[in-house]
Amino acid sequence: MARSTADTTNESFRHDSSTLTERIAANPEPALRWAGVAAVLLLLELGAFLGGVLTLFHAAVLGVTALLEVSLGAVSSGLGEAAFGFQTDALASISGVRDAAQSIPTLLSRETISNQGHMVGPNGPWTGTFLGLEPAYAWGIRVVLVLVYAFVTAYWLFRGWLVFRNHYRQADWTPTDDIINRLRDHRWGQFGIAVLVVFLTLALFGPALGPTTVQQNIKSPYAEESQIEYFSDDTGSVETVFAGKANFDSKSKGPNQNVGPMTYDDYGRFHPFGTLPNGRDLFTFMMGGARISLIVTGLAIGLASFIAGALGLISAFYGGTTDLAVLTTADGITSVPRLLLLVMLSAVFANHWLGSVLDGGFLLALIFGFTGWPLLWRAVRGPALQVAQEEWVDAAESFGQRPTLIMWKHMFPYVMGYLLVYASMSAGGIVVSLSALSFIGNGLGITAPTPAWGRAVSLGQSYVAGPSWHIALIPGLMIVILVMGLNAFGDGLRDAIDPETKGSDDGDELAAGGGA
Amino acid sequence: MSNAIEREQTAASGETLVDVQELKTYYGGDGFFASPPVKAVDTVDFEIQRGETFGLVGESGCGKSTLGRTLVQLEQATEGSVSFDGTDITELSGPELKQWRRNAQMVFQDPESSLNDRMTVGEIIREPLDAHDWKTKADRRERVTELLSEVGLREEHYFRYPHQFSGGQRQRVGIARALALEPEFVVLDEPVSALDVSVQAKIITLLEDLQAEFDLTYLFIAHDLSVVRHICDRVAVMYLGKIMEIGDTEELYENPQNPYTQALLSAIPRPDPSVTIDRITLPGTPPSPRDPPQGCQFSTRCPAKIRPEAYADTDDEIWHAVEQLREVVRERSRMSLSTTDQLRKRLDRFSRFDDIEETVTDLFGELSVPQSVEDHVRHAVELVKDGEPKAAQTYLREEFGGVCDTTRPGHHQVSAAGRESYCHRHLDEYEDTTTVLANYVDGA
Repeated sequence: MARSTADTTNESFRHDSSTLTERIAANPEPALRWAGVAAVLLLLELGAFLGGVLTLFHAAVLGVTALLEVSLGAVSSGLGEAAFGFQTDALASISGVRDAAQSIPTLLSRETISNQGHMVGPNGPWTGTFLGLEPAYAWGIRVVLVLVYAFVTAYWLFRGWLVFRNHYRQADWTPTDDIINRLRDHRWGQFGIAVLVVFLTLALFGPALGPTTVQQNIKSPYAEESQIEYFSDDTGSVETVFAGKANFDSKSKGPNQNVGPMTYDDYGRFHPFGTLPNGRDLFTFMMGGARISLIVTGLAIGLASFIAGALGLISAFYGGTTDLAVLTTADGITSVPRLLLLVMLSAVFANHWLGSVLDGGFLLALIFGFTGWPLLWRAVRGPALQVAQEEWVDAAESFGQRPTLIMWKHMFPYVMGYLLVYASMSAGGIVVSLSALSFIGNGLGITAPTPAWGRAVSLGQSYVAGPSWHIALIPGLMIVILVMGLNAFGDGLRDAIDPETKGSDDGDELAAGGGA
Repeated sequence: MSNAIEREQTAASGETLVDVQELKTYYGGDGFFASPPVKAVDTVDFEIQRGETFGLVGESGCGKSTLGRTLVQLEQATEGSVSFDGTDITELSGPELKQWRRNAQMVFQDPESSLNDRMTVGEIIREPLDAHDWKTKADRRERVTELLSEVGLREEHYFRYPHQFSGGQRQRVGIARALALEPEFVVLDEPVSALDVSVQAKIITLLEDLQAEFDLTYLFIAHDLSVVRHICDRVAVMYLGKIMEIGDTEELYENPQNPYTQALLSAIPRPDPSVTIDRITLPGTPPSPRDPPQGCQFSTRCPAKIRPEAYADTDDEIWHAVEQLREVVRERSRMSLSTTDQLRKRLDRFSRFDDIEETVTDLFGELSVPQSVEDHVRHAVELVKDGEPKAAQTYLREEFGGVCDTTRPGHHQVSAAGRESYCHRHLDEYEDTTTVLANYVDGA
């Protein structure tokens, strides 16, 4: 808790009027030490990092210009076309820069530590793989390195905050310190954070983690560049074959034909999670699915939280008719069955370009966002109403502070915690809903052949009781772990923000809710 | 009670800073289906001189806080005007209002709630300056450090958070924030009532020092009468949204004229056990400000209420019972009936209020009630039993009500210094309040 008020010297106050840069200049050592390690971490993966940032930027530009186009198009078709033109140009140039960035070699790439090679004779040795290792070991080394890298980076970011706190922050204590300290003792919450880091790593490093690529194995297995070499026992020499043909012979379809987890197929390809009924690599499929799932979930929950937070503050601050209007809208949205809405909108937008962004994921994110906010809004409206009654809000009003700033400075910090907790818990619901839609398929969910977890479960449904159990079980477990991790994170956050509610189980209904 | 507390008389310039006229602040009541508004402040007139400390006392719920909040435009006045240096601030809005807000600030009652716990003390005090784009950033920092030492805190408290401080220190932060924009007028809404007694004295002294240093004008809202006597030059006593008595503090405390003021002051605890004081205990609770009495606001509890001519000679005990019955009927009339009861009433089967008989037995059972009174009581009781307590209330008022029940009194000047009191008793035809109350206390 609060440190005693007597132990501070005037020293801390001296650099009061200085900016952060001046404070760093005055005592550069800790910052430099931190920045040195951070730079090394960044350099290792510069190409991938730039590529990732540009991909996000690409998606953001796409989203914003798409909304612009729709709204401008409603006013006049000329404006809409202008927006579309701008969108095409902007996206093309971003893609160009991204491709250039991604060609920068990185340490943790599939090229550097390759697992794709072939044997030169019946009993080896392997060629084309990292150090001539067996593909399984090469792949294992890469996965371990990627995960270590991800955790080190995550810790180093946290370490950066610690450096700032200990050396450059002017206040020697802030309420955030308490939250962080409580989270440091909270094992369940830390488990949640670890799960989140792992899944974010899967999504970010998906292409580097898979034993093969989505492009080669799933999307265009008969393309010219999708040919693989293998040592054929029949001919006794190294042969070339299309990945699609190899897939055809590597199907997992129960007792007669099966490539299980941690095994090789006839073409010397390693399958950590086995193959799908159509012979594709399940691990690669899952990595692709992680990416789309997390992007859609993130977009949806971000949108919902933003709407919920803004409307929660507005309805609590202004009250009366405004509150009633928001309440009515929220009730209206809640009263529409979400699954029905999803089915209808998916049908309506089936041939619209919006339905093809992110392979249909963007539309789903919008639907989840615009239908999910009432739940979050309800959760934050109560605390927001409470804060609005505090005298410091009156005080701010009495010296003429602007309403937007009153809401932002005097109300939002108290609501943000609740918003984070409920958002992380509803995110689990969105993950489940998304998988459920892909499970149902038939135009719902993520468009095939783009990987989606729910579709893997659906594909493996008929083989659950048999040697091909892995097809449905592994994706199912991954969904369960992610949702559990999100809930653990929410729990930890709640206990850290508001230690008084620790032990109470008011989050249960939320943890369970949110599914379509 | 002669141990007059030494009080530095702050020099009031005689120039009016705040002029409140016919001010009304009602809550709710707008809208078609709304219940009647809460008349928190109901036609109030007074002036505050530049440089003085004006006290506002009264029990909780009497509207004193609402009045203070209306003066700094935290509440919108329903009617009337508040002239500040000649400008009617109830008419201001937008940028003009924001500009004016620099002149009038407020210190809140609860230092736990008036400071945002997620901001440092420096940010809290600086915020008013930021909001008004006061000079440059460096100047603002400078000003905040100045203010910190002004209110008795140290520079290095700038980066501390409010809950690293005690209640008294937090209140100092609140005061520093109120003074940041160099206001002329500060509303102090019970600034010390949430603090320990030892800390209260320090804060009061601080407020006095700051007033002298910056020529501040204070509106001091309190329910602690001794504190008010200590700090205020003039004082107004409020009851149910109305000023009952207003005048110079010392004079008002020494020789209160209004029955309510007298009752209130008689409740101040005396530290001297040898002094016997006749305490006037008021019956009942204040009526709802949604439905204030038709006559004087204080008439339902007034110990010096004027009786109508016809009952001037009625026995005191009987009269007392009649008054109590009226209070009971009044309470009944505030109850709303359920749909079933409404239906029963239509069908003449209503029985929910039959227990009024027991009340009457309790009140009048042991007394020999004259026929003239008895008849009216019976009639009123029948009305109540029929489910018409409102009609019974009106009936009783018309029959037993005197001038206090039917007519709002005026403010009468009661001293050479210009003190005013809100009571019919100050008219020549009625007996003086002091005499009446002396008898009342004797009789009790």
